[in-house]
Amino acid sequence: MKRLVAVAAISLLGLAACGESSSPAVPGESSQKGGDVLAKAPVAVAADILPGSTMEKIKQRGELLVGGSLDAPLLSQQNPVTGQVEGFDADMGKALAKYILGEPKVKIVNSASETREALLANGTVDVVFQTYTITEERAKQVAFAGPYYTSGLTIAVKKGASGITKPEDLNGKKVLAGANTPAIPAIKKLAPQAEIITFGSDPECIQALKQDRGVAYVQDETLLIADAQKDPSIQIVTKPFTVDPYGIGLKHGDDQFKKFVNDWLKKTQDAGLWQEIWKKSIGTVVTGEPPQPPQIGSVPGS
Amino acid sequence: MSVLLDHLPELWQGLIVTFQLTAASFAGAAVLGVVVCALRVSPVRVLRAIGTAYVEAFQNLPLLVLLVLSFFGLPEIGIKAEPLVTAIVVIAVYEAAYVGEALRSGVNSVGKGQGEAARAIGLTFSQSLRHVILPQALRTVVQPLGNIFIATAMNTALAAAVGVVDLTAAANRVNLIEAQPIPIFVGAGVAYALIAAAAGFVTGRLERRLVIIR
Repeated sequence: MKRLVAVAAISLLGLAACGESSSPAVPGESSQKGGDVLAKAPVAVAADILPGSTMEKIKQRGELLVGGSLDAPLLSQQNPVTGQVEGFDADMGKALAKYILGEPKVKIVNSASETREALLANGTVDVVFQTYTITEERAKQVAFAGPYYTSGLTIAVKKGASGITKPEDLNGKKVLAGANTPAIPAIKKLAPQAEIITFGSDPECIQALKQDRGVAYVQDETLLIADAQKDPSIQIVTKPFTVDPYGIGLKHGDDQFKKFVNDWLKKTQDAGLWQEIWKKSIGTVVTGEPPQPPQIGSVPGS
Repeated sequence: MSVLLDHLPELWQGLIVTFQLTAASFAGAAVLGVVVCALRVSPVRVLRAIGTAYVEAFQNLPLLVLLVLSFFGLPEIGIKAEPLVTAIVVIAVYEAAYVGEALRSGVNSVGKGQGEAARAIGLTFSQSLRHVILPQALRTVVQPLGNIFIATAMNTALAAAVGVVDLTAAANRVNLIEAQPIPIFVGAGVAYALIAAAAGFVTGRLERRLVIIR
């Protein structure tokens, strides 16, 4: 019995430790800056809110319903202290809400990646900001505005591990990936003999890597940089080897709203707001100036 | 519909893992459940207390918490197992609490005189349990055990949390590519419903054959 209690206690400690590592690097500071950035966000002129359109319906409702995550560091994560959702995706959603409503009023619906298409189709959410990679298959089910951000997958290993320098090296090895991430099809394509082991969240995958459940962890570069900065026992071994263009998910067939959102995105980029939002989220771990935003409509399916 | 046929190999592989998980963890739960039941009805107070503690502990903890705790916590003290093994053991340990309680209700339904008679002819506690009480108890709890079997099958869907690619995880992976959640999850749901229906059918037949009319 004593042993059981000891096991439980140690397990809880382990989990608590890995939970902590997922919290944002500077929560207080970033939420403060959030207000300033969105104060500069553009607001649509009345003529743009066409009668009978989706924009008008959102305006009448008084809030924008955004499908997103609450547990994606740097992109869309709920700050346990303030209750605010912070990150690149979250702020882009707020900026779009301000464009339509005049104030950044959003309600984030925690949409799992397996339900995004259904939530858009049945009108539970107006838009999805959730590292939603544009693919031609998905574009048959939903409309994509953007792309608004481009990312890529890379590989992390335990510090000192050798033998993995490119995706093909994963063949025949146990590889960790986030459940429902583009890493799974990418690994299958580049290293068909790899054994893929998936876990629900990024902290779980990191824990599994440290416990030698797999020799490598394939994940979005931004997330891995944040992980490697917080945890010196892991290291990144490749440059990004895929190009994942993230789109803004919209209801299929609503071309009017898609054009509206694309116009907003263009204005946001031209005004430098896109770059500001990048700096206070992803830019806190990626050094250097903000990258060039991707060309709107440049990807098949967008 | 075609999306299901296109990905039949992956989904079928997931379904097989779901079968393996269900069969192995229910078998484990059945064996462990008998032990738990024996502890619960034991004449020794300490053993009864252990049985009660076991049932209370595992009936009051969510299975998902147990799975994640065991998978990520136990390696910290040097106990590490494959995802599938971890899932089987944890689900078995968890469901054993329910099996134990179902069996105990069966034991309670066996007339008191049966136990007294068994002791009177000189059988020990374990002998009277094995030869007189459990065989009668089992016959009255066929239906509750069938329900626990169905619950076990449904609970295996949580194994994806520790990296097991069962039917639910396979459906998730297919949906990630195809982006058609409704046909994919309806398909997976039908497969689970068929497992439950088959279990219900078998237990119904078994019960009619085994029932003791008192």
